[in-house]
Amino acid sequence: MATQSTTRKSDNDKAIIRQRIGHGLMIAVLAILLVIFIWPFFMVLTNAFKSMSDITGEPLSIVGSHGFTLNNFTSAMRKMHFWRVFGNSALITVSATVLTVLVSAMAAYVIVRNPRWTASKLTFAAMVASMVIPFQVIMVPLVSVYGGYLGVLNSRLTLILMHVGFSVSLAVFMFHGAIKTNVPIELEEAAEIDGASKWRTFWTVVFPLLKPTAATVAIIDAMAFWNDYLLPSLVLTDKKIYTIPIATQVFYGTYSTDIGLVMAALLLAMLPILILYLALQRFIVAGVTAGAVKG
Amino acid sequence: MMFAGPATILFCAVVVVPFIYGLYLTLTSWDGIANNKPFVGLQNYRDAFADTAYWSALGRTAIYSVISVVLVNVVAFFLAYLVTSGIKGQNFFRAGFFIPNLIGGIVLGYVWKFVFNRAFVAIGTALTGHEGASLLGTTNGALFALILVSVWQYAGYMMLIYVAGFMGVDDSLKEAALIDGCTNGQAMRNVVIPLMRSSFVQCIFLSTTRCFMVYDLNLSLTKGEPFNTSVMAAMHVYNKAFVYKNYGVGQAEALILFIICAVIGMIQVYVGKKGEVEA
Amino acid sequence: MLKDWKRWTAAAAATVLAVGMLGACGSNSGSGDGTKITIFNSKSEIQQQLEELAESYGESHGVDVEVYYSSDTVAAHMATKYAANQPYTISMVDAKDVYSLGAEHAIDLSGEKWVSETDQAISVDGKVLGFPVSVEARGLIYNADAIKKATGKDFKPESIKTTDDFKNLISDLKAGGMESPVGVMKEDWSLAAHYLPQVYEEQEDPAAFIKSLHDGADLNSNARWTSLMDTFDVLVENNYAKGDKAISAEREVTEQKLAKGEIAFMFGGNWDWAVLNQYEPTKNMGMMPVPQNDNDMDVQNKLVGGGSKYFFIDNSKNTSEAQQKAAKDFLNWLSMDKEGQEWIVNTAHLVSPFKNNTLEVADPLGKSVKEFADKNMLINNYNYLPDDHYSVLGANFQKYLAGQEDRAALAGQVVDYWKSNDMKTIQ
Repeated sequence: MATQSTTRKSDNDKAIIRQRIGHGLMIAVLAILLVIFIWPFFMVLTNAFKSMSDITGEPLSIVGSHGFTLNNFTSAMRKMHFWRVFGNSALITVSATVLTVLVSAMAAYVIVRNPRWTASKLTFAAMVASMVIPFQVIMVPLVSVYGGYLGVLNSRLTLILMHVGFSVSLAVFMFHGAIKTNVPIELEEAAEIDGASKWRTFWTVVFPLLKPTAATVAIIDAMAFWNDYLLPSLVLTDKKIYTIPIATQVFYGTYSTDIGLVMAALLLAMLPILILYLALQRFIVAGVTAGAVKG
Repeated sequence: MMFAGPATILFCAVVVVPFIYGLYLTLTSWDGIANNKPFVGLQNYRDAFADTAYWSALGRTAIYSVISVVLVNVVAFFLAYLVTSGIKGQNFFRAGFFIPNLIGGIVLGYVWKFVFNRAFVAIGTALTGHEGASLLGTTNGALFALILVSVWQYAGYMMLIYVAGFMGVDDSLKEAALIDGCTNGQAMRNVVIPLMRSSFVQCIFLSTTRCFMVYDLNLSLTKGEPFNTSVMAAMHVYNKAFVYKNYGVGQAEALILFIICAVIGMIQVYVGKKGEVEA
Repeated sequence: MLKDWKRWTAAAAATVLAVGMLGACGSNSGSGDGTKITIFNSKSEIQQQLEELAESYGESHGVDVEVYYSSDTVAAHMATKYAANQPYTISMVDAKDVYSLGAEHAIDLSGEKWVSETDQAISVDGKVLGFPVSVEARGLIYNADAIKKATGKDFKPESIKTTDDFKNLISDLKAGGMESPVGVMKEDWSLAAHYLPQVYEEQEDPAAFIKSLHDGADLNSNARWTSLMDTFDVLVENNYAKGDKAISAEREVTEQKLAKGEIAFMFGGNWDWAVLNQYEPTKNMGMMPVPQNDNDMDVQNKLVGGGSKYFFIDNSKNTSEAQQKAAKDFLNWLSMDKEGQEWIVNTAHLVSPFKNNTLEVADPLGKSVKEFADKNMLINNYNYLPDDHYSVLGANFQKYLAGQEDRAALAGQVVDYWKSNDMKTIQ
């Protein structure tokens, strides 16, 4: 009895030690990879605080020979009207992301639960196919229809709705997979027996199970909206409603680029999205554990 | 109907309608800006098929895409596995690997161009003692650079989807397999991976289509140089339509690109679905 | 559970509401009762100055002026603007765009006062459509301080006429310790939109010359081609970056070397000052003609250039008559008013294409260009090259620069390009 428990204990110890070594190795591998991944980013960080002359002459130094400078930041903020375009970007990104997540989850739910409808098959196929349309194909027709014929360009609302329209296909695609694998139909049937309407069943039973996917879709879309240049540049013509990427275009010349300003603007623009990511990442984890407890 | 309505309507309005109008434009010899759009039938398609630069750009894009997709998914899966294995600081690592995605396409290219032409060359000079050439100066080097940056960028993105996949797999299933005597590798192959099928389908589909349509990175990193040997399909299409003002032909070529992508995408989704039934 | 549902509905409702409000305030942007004109700028170097001008001009003249910039290809940007029925009142485009867009989209400016003051305006079918913004010219940029430091003698650009003169100077520079005195830009536009076109432009009749290439004439035996390529070879031999390195040399680095005097020569134009100026350059720089052994058309004494960037005013119904008038007034002010002239020269640092603008140019390259222009020593730009010329032949020229093909092969590719061209743009 006693010997048995000691051997088991030492086995356990060994397993723990092996696991620790394994984890240590993994951490080491990850750390090395991370350094490689982050390095170009680090270059942006250091060079954003240098003068143009130092960026060209000594790109690798951490502080240039002309010294540490905040000029790129102050000048970038002034030239792009930072706070104004920041506000526009934030409003557009947040509204479009929330709308995309909501309408796509609903649409995917209908498509998954009614696989035999021709309409749902057709819509899903069209959406999957549309993901591979090169944007150049619809760029000019899009502005012809909405600018030339309908005259609704140059408004943030139009841009938000277009963002949603362009991103629903990917979002539906992702929700489609998630509903199929992660949402047992029995749960819904139980809710319906309890007398819940379809609408309530969806929001109280189905959607909570989709939280990890919703968070993933939200991150991916928010990032895409935040960084998108082409679509906003076609839709927004008035400076007052410009977003960050359009406002930074002025730093790119036809023949040369003021890379110092570009890097400063990049750092300014990515902070909010980084914070959003860190916030949503917790949510992914929380969503999964919450689902596990319920299950 | 109420459920799917908003998404479907918006989708049709901004994607389907302009797409159909775009289809019509391929039948005209419009230069992209004049008021009249003369109807020319299928002439643009004939021109597109005769455009050898377009077809070599497509071939190049295929090579780039195949290599990139394989590497992106291998790296992404590996990273996702490591950052979901319960080690300390995994949230920190997840955030770290995702950072490249926070940089938008155009800026990304400029930053990497700078890294290739300046930083790598400076390091190479320090290591070998004599000043070397940048990778971007040679045909294969430029292709390699495009692949490297794509992997760097998309690995973190796809990692996110694989992470969601890993977390969707019930740990108890894997533990059961381990108790049944499976090795870690076997449990991975026979239990975890089949359950992550939808993540794989999504990631491979997404990375393939993104690679096939690469434009921003191409423009800002290599601009088609050297010798126009790194011009990918989307860039060729854009140049044809807008820079060389041959809108109809450019649009027709874009449509051919779309059909190729659509066929590849459909095959992938179909194969993925078929596997699902078997599993 | 119920709470959750409520929360989501509330969030959705709030979003819809917020979006609706946004839409409402987004659409009424054309406020104010004064005329509003928009200007599209495609010259990023002067964006800041133009924006400031818009504000001050707007205040003093009672018009609302807004300046826009895009780094997209000018033609692509114009295409989307016209497709959306939202053209700018005034657009700044390249010469070739005036030829392709002007007839359909630009108003006739023939009656304007400034027309008689310039040789650089663009006319199509007898109507003046393009207002020249500045004069730009191409040639060799030199750093006189660097040359003096290496040779010990003051540099006189007039003393270098032929390729052989240039070679001698290069060996003096090398003897003085400057290992590679030249920087060559690898950009396709520099090679095939700036250097190569000199071969056409420095012919008596460029269009006839191109037509002869279209018919298969032998370019490699042409005297101009030979003299220009001989000089190009000297530039390449003494380029600080060789072979593959020449193809990845960055323009910023080359310009920095020139500004700092590590190299003494670079082929370019007065627009390069905007870049050079970021690297604390000496003011002792200037531009000289590309040295050549063949002196037909007096090329040894002339730069190649002329009007660069043109304004045209939109003629569509989207632009009201009041706007067109305000736009014409602005162009008049820019060319005829003392303040406008000062803005061009002293604020935007451009070389004015107008004879009545006699202000002294401050930047050294612009000063050189102005001197050549005043003496009538400019060979005209040829503005009718097809849009893909610089890209297709630029790729071939890069191969030549990298040493991957010889001169006869490059000449053959130029002829092949013209043989297969439809010649629609050539006139």
